[in-house]
Amino acid sequence: MDHQKAAENFSAYLDGELKDPEKGRLEGHLAVCMQCRTELASLKKTLGQLGHLRREAPRDLLDNVQHQIYVRSRGRFFNRKWRLFGKIPFEWISLGTIIAMLIYYVLLKHASPGGVKALP
Amino acid sequence: MSMAERMLVARLKERDEQAFSETVRLYGDRVFNLVYRMLGSRAEAEDIAQEVFVSVFKTVDSFRGESKFSTWLLRIAANHCKNRIKYLARRPTSGTHLDDVGEAAMADHGRAPMSSHVDAPDVLLEAAEIESLMQKAIASLDEDQRLLVVLRDVEDLSYEEIGEVTGLPEGTIKSRLHRARMAIKQAIDRHTR
Repeated sequence: MDHQKAAENFSAYLDGELKDPEKGRLEGHLAVCMQCRTELASLKKTLGQLGHLRREAPRDLLDNVQHQIYVRSRGRFFNRKWRLFGKIPFEWISLGTIIAMLIYYVLLKHASPGGVKALP
Repeated sequence: MSMAERMLVARLKERDEQAFSETVRLYGDRVFNLVYRMLGSRAEAEDIAQEVFVSVFKTVDSFRGESKFSTWLLRIAANHCKNRIKYLARRPTSGTHLDDVGEAAMADHGRAPMSSHVDAPDVLLEAAEIESLMQKAIASLDEDQRLLVVLRDVEDLSYEEIGEVTGLPEGTIKSRLHRARMAIKQAIDRHTR
């Protein structure tokens, strides 16, 4: 195995993804090639350093996300139990209420005055 | 998908506010880390991380459970990152603005809980320099290679999980990841020699 072919397998080897016979060939080459051993150790070190690149999310991420959701949904995103109401625009609900009250008013006005008998 | 993930998703679909808080707490760091490493700017990362969770909550009904919830969430994050990278590249003023990662890393490494030890300044400085170098090396990759390196070497995902996030076959992941890693190693070697 030459250096070029060995180097092509470093990545899979370090991930434990290189299978025999390729793995055996690479290990055989590494046993006798100082240059490739050094290259492999260097790549391993680099990958180890990449693994330490951790950043925590800002502490206000949750608050900011909730704020965004509340603003964009006008506070109607959560509590799906009320999803029917949540999906109907408030303007429609108001209009429906006004129409219902008007109908009730008209019915009352046209109700027969003799419909209700006075108590003896 | 684990039972815990299944239950969390079911609660999310019911618009349980507590489940949304849990999701941000559970996956906030992973999403932020991915976005930060992809974009290289804390301000951009904060903005996009928020957008990712808003998208997750808006589209959770479409999640069918064919993949892990965590990989589905990271796929949304990756798509947001790609869109932002394209948007930033189109802007006439500048491309992606990289933070002074070294400075930020110094501040982060120096921040320690009260009971723990505080590293010596030279150790902090070295860690900050390495992080800065790594971030620049990652930023020099194209966005597809960058995503693979971040998912595999920073987020520690398996090849199968990376496949779920990127939709790429395993062979392609392996070969692209190899090229990306070698490019990073060469960039680091150039600076350290």
